[in-house]
Amino acid sequence: MSKIIVDKLSIKFRIYHDRSPSLKDYVANLFRGNRQSAYSDFWAVKDVSLEFNSGDRVGIVGHNGAGKSTLLKALCRVYESSDGRVTVDGRLAPLLEIGAGFHPEFTGRENIYLNGAILGYTDLQLRAIEPEVIAFAELEEFIDTPVKYYSTGMYMRLAFSLATAVHPDILVLDEIFAGGDAAFMARATTRMFEMIDRANIMIMVSHDHHLVKSLCNRVVWMDHGRVVLDGAPDVVIDQYLGLNTHAG
Amino acid sequence: MISKLTRLAAEVYASRSVLGRLVRQQLILRYRRTVLGYLWTLVNPLLMMSVMAMVFATIFKEDVKVFAIFLFAGMIPWNCFNSIVVQSGGAFINNEGLIKKIYIPKILFPLSVSLGVFIDSILSFFALFAIILAVGGKVSTALFFVPVAYILLFLFSFGVGLVFSVATVFFRDLQYVIQIAMQGLFFLTPVLYKKDVLSGGVSNLVALNPVVPFIELFRAPLFQAKMPSDDVILHASLISIVSIILGLVVLLGQEKKVVFRL
Repeated sequence: MSKIIVDKLSIKFRIYHDRSPSLKDYVANLFRGNRQSAYSDFWAVKDVSLEFNSGDRVGIVGHNGAGKSTLLKALCRVYESSDGRVTVDGRLAPLLEIGAGFHPEFTGRENIYLNGAILGYTDLQLRAIEPEVIAFAELEEFIDTPVKYYSTGMYMRLAFSLATAVHPDILVLDEIFAGGDAAFMARATTRMFEMIDRANIMIMVSHDHHLVKSLCNRVVWMDHGRVVLDGAPDVVIDQYLGLNTHAG
Repeated sequence: MISKLTRLAAEVYASRSVLGRLVRQQLILRYRRTVLGYLWTLVNPLLMMSVMAMVFATIFKEDVKVFAIFLFAGMIPWNCFNSIVVQSGGAFINNEGLIKKIYIPKILFPLSVSLGVFIDSILSFFALFAIILAVGGKVSTALFFVPVAYILLFLFSFGVGLVFSVATVFFRDLQYVIQIAMQGLFFLTPVLYKKDVLSGGVSNLVALNPVVPFIELFRAPLFQAKMPSDDVILHASLISIVSIILGLVVLLGQEKKVVFRL
C-alpha cells in the first residue's frame, strides 16, 4: 500500500534583488566582510505536515503563489526540502508538465524511449507500450519524423499518451492537461479519469473547483506556503470560495 | 560520505537507461542530417591535427611524420580532457528545463556529457592510431597500457568536470572563463612541444600543471613505444584520485542547491 508522509516541510527560495552574483561580487564580498546581502529569503512552503494514505484523492487549492506547485514538486523530488522531510512509499508518476523531456531533434519514436526512461519506465515496458502509445496519439504516419516538425496538438497528444501509458501507484498532477482536437480531448479525459481511478493515491492541483469536487475525496487549502484547511471537499472549497468573495 | 557514495552509485545504476539515452542523444544529435554523420567525429580531429602537424613541423623544423606521431599522442588526451571540462561546465545550465520539471539524479548530466566525449575520444583514438601506424609508428606491448591511461584520464577529467558543472550554476561567468583558461592551459601543457625544451619561470608553471602526467601516459606507449615511468603512473593516479574525490564532494555537497539556482 502506498503512503506519503510530509513532515514539517519547508522550502526556501532565495530572491536576488538585482542579478545573480558574479564571481567578482562573491570575492569582493568575501573581503569586504559585509553581511548585508543582496537577496532575501522567500518561504514558498512553510512548515507543512500532511499524510496521504491509500485511497486518498487529494485536491490542492489556493491562490496563485500559495505554494501548491512547489509542494507537488517537493513530492516529486524536484525541489529538495530546506527543512523537514518527505517520505514516499510507492511508485510515483509525476505529471507536472508533459513533454518536459522531449528533444525537438529526435523523432517521436526516439522521444518515447528518451522521455519514457526519464519518466522511470524500463526498456522492456517501453517496448511493450510503444504501439499503444503511438496508436492512442494517432501518430502512426509521423512517428519517425522529428518532433520539431509536429504541430502543437501532435506534440501534446504524444506527450499525453506516453505520460498516461503506465498506471502508477501514486499520481501527481499539476492541472489536468490534454491538448488536441475535441475528439482527442474526449478520449484523453476518459483515459485520465481511468488512470485516476486506478491510482492508489492521487494528488492534484487545480483551479477548477467543480473538477476537484467531482474527483477528490479530500481537499487541502494552502495560502502563503501554509496549510489553511484540510478536509472534505465541500467544506474546504466552500470556505475557500467564501473567503474569496469576501475579499473580492 | 561512504553511505552517500553508495546511495549515489545505487541511484546511477537504477537510472542507467536514462544515462544510456542521454549519452546516445549527445553522440547522435550533433551530426544528424549531415552527409558524413558520425564520421565527422573522426574526420574533424584528424583534419585539425593534420593541419597542426604540418604547420608546427615546419616551424620547429621537425620531420612531419615523426612530429605527427608526437603531436597526435599528446592531442588525444588533451582533447578528451578539454572537451570533458568545457562541456561539463554547461551540463546543468543546458538542461535547466529538464531539471526544473522532473527528478533525475544530478550526476547524470555531467556524467552523460563526459561519457559521450569519452566514447568520441576512444573512437578517434582508433582513427589516429591507424594514421600513426601508416606514417611509421612503432607497435609494442606498451600499447596494452593505453586502456589504463584512458581510465585514469577519465577519472581526472570527470572530477574536474564535476566541479565546474556545479560551479557554473553559481557563477555563470565561469562558462566563458573556462574556455579561455583552457586555451592558456593548452600552451602550458607539453602537447606541441617537448617538456624539456622549456626553462626558467615557464617550466616551473608547467611542472605545476596537473595535466602533464596524463600527456606522458599516452605519449610513452604511442610515441616512444615504451611503458610510462612508474613515477608518471603514480603521479597521474594520485591526481586522478584527488580530482574524482573533489568532484564528488562538491557535487554531493551542492546538488540540492542546483535546482534553486538555475
